[in-house]
Amino acid sequence: MTILEVQDLKTYYSTLKGDVKAVDGVRLQMEKGESLGLVGESGCGKTTLALAIMRLLPWNGRIVGGKILLNDVDIVGLDEAIFDKDYRWKRMAYVFQGAMNALNPVFKVGDQIAEAITIHEDVAKREALDRARELFSLVGIDPGRITSYPHELSGGMKQRAMIAMALACNPDFIIADEPTTALDVIVQAQTLEVINELQKKLGITMMLITHDLSVVAQTCTTCAIMYAGNLVEYADIDTTFSDPVHPYTQALISAFPSIKEDRRELISISGVPPNLLNPPTGCRFNPRCPHRMDICTKEKPEYLEIGDRHFAACHLLTNGG
Amino acid sequence: MKGEAELKVVNLRKWFPVRRGIVSTLLSRKTEYVKAVDGVSFEVRKGEVFGLAGESGCGKTTTGKTVLRLLEPTGGEIYFEGRDITALNKAEMKQMRRKMQIIYQDPYQSLNPRMTVFDIISEPINVHRLSDSPAETEEIVHKSLEDVELIPAEDFVFRFPHELSGGQRQRVAVARTIILQPSFIVADEPISMLDVSIRAGILKVMLQTKEAQDITYIFITHDLAYARHICHRGAIMYLGKIVELASMDNLVNNPLHPYTIALMMAVPVPDPTLGKARAVISGEVPTPINPPSGCRFHPRCSKATDICSRQEPELVEVSGGHFVACHHAH
Ligand SMILES: Nc1ncnc2c1ncn2[C@@H]1O[C@H](COP(=O)(O)OP(=O)(O)OP(=O)(O)O)[C@@H](O)[C@H]1O
Ligand SMILES: Nc1ncnc2c1ncn2[C@@H]1O[C@H](COP(=O)(O)OP(=O)(O)OP(=O)(O)O)[C@@H](O)[C@H]1O
Ligand SMILES: [Mg+2]
Ligand SMILES: [Mg+2]
Repeated sequence: MTILEVQDLKTYYSTLKGDVKAVDGVRLQMEKGESLGLVGESGCGKTTLALAIMRLLPWNGRIVGGKILLNDVDIVGLDEAIFDKDYRWKRMAYVFQGAMNALNPVFKVGDQIAEAITIHEDVAKREALDRARELFSLVGIDPGRITSYPHELSGGMKQRAMIAMALACNPDFIIADEPTTALDVIVQAQTLEVINELQKKLGITMMLITHDLSVVAQTCTTCAIMYAGNLVEYADIDTTFSDPVHPYTQALISAFPSIKEDRRELISISGVPPNLLNPPTGCRFNPRCPHRMDICTKEKPEYLEIGDRHFAACHLLTNGG
Repeated sequence: MKGEAELKVVNLRKWFPVRRGIVSTLLSRKTEYVKAVDGVSFEVRKGEVFGLAGESGCGKTTTGKTVLRLLEPTGGEIYFEGRDITALNKAEMKQMRRKMQIIYQDPYQSLNPRMTVFDIISEPINVHRLSDSPAETEEIVHKSLEDVELIPAEDFVFRFPHELSGGQRQRVAVARTIILQPSFIVADEPISMLDVSIRAGILKVMLQTKEAQDITYIFITHDLAYARHICHRGAIMYLGKIVELASMDNLVNNPLHPYTIALMMAVPVPDPTLGKARAVISGEVPTPINPPSGCRFHPRCSKATDICSRQEPELVEVSGGHFVACHHAH
C-alpha cells in the first residue's frame, strides 16, 4: 500500500539574488512499512523536501509545483486548519535536524511531550503524562526521567526524547532528519537500534535523512540519492550498494570509507556541488561526472524506472555510453 | 628515518580548573579540575600518520594542542626530535613552532575573513622571514596553492575566505601550514566539517605533501573508518587516558580493550550485506571532573571485577607494539 507519493515537487526559496531551487522536480513513492534512507551532501535539498512534506517551510520558501499525496489525499492544497488538525504530528511527524537542542530548557521533558499530546488530542494532562512514560520506555529511557529537565539528559537521551515526542500522537509516517549526526558512534548505534525496534514493533513508515551512507546501509530497506535538488537514483538497499547505475551514486559509494575494508586510497569526486540559485543546465551532476557526454550539458535526463522499483536519471541509461 | 621517534610524550597531563560559583568560592571548597588529559604516553614515529581517536570530550584536541604547547601542560614531558620542549622559553618555542604546526577542524574559523588568500598564506612567510623579495614570496605562495590543487593559483590569490567553498578554505589552511615546511603536523579533524565527496581530495593533498616533505602527522578523528584508511598506528582515548595503542590493523581486527571492542562494533559499515553495527555497551561517557575510580571504563564494562574499581590499569605492551590498559585483556 502506498503511503506517500510525491509527484514532480518543486520547492523554491526566494532570496535577493533570485530563487534557490532547493527541490526541483522530485518524484518519490513510499510503501507502508518502508524505511527509506534519503542521502545527499550538504545543501542538496533533503531538509527542504521534508519541510515541504510537513508544510513547515520558512516564510521565504514555497511549493511552486507538484503534488504530495498522503494516502491519496493531496496535502499541498489542503486547508491549513485541516492539515494542522488531522495531519501534521497526527498522521505524519518530523524529528527536526538538530532537534535535541530544540527542547525548551525551562520545562520538564515529560511535560513538553504531554503538551504535544493534549494540543492534538482531547485527553487529560494525567493521561498524557502516562503516555509520555510509555513513550520513554519505548525509546529506551527510564520512564522516571519524564520529570527531568533537558540539561539533565545526555545528548543521546535528548535525541531519543525527541523521537518519543514525534511518536506522541501515533503517526504512521515519520521523517527523522539527521537523527544521529551529532552523536558519538556508540550512542549512534544505540539510537539506531531504538529506531529499528520501533519500526518492527509499530510498523511505522519512515524517511531517514542523512549524509551517511553507512547509516542507511544498516538501517533502511530502500535508498534515495539526492543531488542538487533532484533525486538521481532510488532502489532497494541491496541494489543501491551492489548495482548502482548513476555515476554520482557510484562515486559516493567509492568515496565512502568502510572500517571493514583493508586500507586503501579514498577516491574523491572532483569539483563541488552546484549553487542552487543557478544550477547547471542539463544534468546537474554533469560538471563533475566522469562519463559526461554532449547531451548531458543540454538536456535534463528523465527519471526512469529501469528495474523493479529501481529508478535513475542518467543519459547513459538511454543513450548508451 | 622511519621508526625513529619524532615525538615522544611521557605522562602528559592537562587539567583545566572548573570555574566555581561565588558560594563555593566563599566556602573555599577545594578547586576541582577537568582532567582533560590525565597521564598520556605515546610515541609518534618519523614519517607516520598516528591516529588519536575516541568519543567527544575524551581529550583528543587537548592532547594535540598540548603537545604543540598551544596549551601549557599541567605535567609530563614532550620530546620533539629528542629535545624536551616543555623546557623551551618563548623565543625558542617560536623557532620550534615553525616545525610543529596544527590544522584545525573548522576552515570557517581558522582563516581571517578580512585577509585575502595571498595575505593568509604569505603571513607565515613574513613572520619567519622565509623570503628575500616580494617576487620570491609570490612564487612561494603560488607554488603552495598548486601543491594543494587550487589551480590556477592566480584565480585564488585575491579571493577572501567567504569567496571560497568549505573544501577550498581547508586547502588554503593546508597550504598555509605546509609552507613553513614543518616536520610535524597535528591535524585536528581536518575533514569532519566537509562533504564526503571532497574529503578524500583534502586528505590526498595532505598526504602528498607528507610524502614529498617527510612530514609526521597526528591525525585526530572520531571517525574510525577514516582512521582505518589514513593512519598507520593509533591510540584510543577514554576520559583523558589512552586505553589501547596499536597498529591500525590490530586496533580494527584485534582490539583487546573492552572499550575499543565496543567502539569497533558500533561503527556502521556502508554495506547492507554485512552484520549491523551494535551497541554492546549502554550509557554514555561520564564527565571528566570526577572520573570513576580505578579503571575509568569500569562502570560500563561487562568484564569488570573488584580490582577494576580499585586499581588503575597501566598501559602495557601485550605483544609487539600493541599496548592495552585493562586488568583483563592479557
Ligand atoms: N530559508 C532559506 N532561504 C534561502 N535558501 C535556503 C533556505 N533554507 C535552505 N536554503 C538553501 O536551499 C538549499 C537546500 O537546503 P537544505 O537545508 O534543504 O539542504 P540539506 O540537504 O538538508 O543540507 P544539510 O545536509 O546541510 O542539512 C541549500 O542551498 C540552502 O542553502
Ligand atoms: N579550555 C577548557 N576549559 C575547561 N575545560 C575544557 C577546556 N577545553 C576542553 N575542556 C574539557 O576537556 C575535555 C576534553 O576536551 P577535548 O576538546 O580535548 O575533547 P575532544 O576529544 O577533542 O572532543 P571532540 O571530539 O568533541 O572534539 C572535555 O570535557 C572538555 O569539556
Ligand atoms: Mg538538512
Ligand atoms: Mg576535539
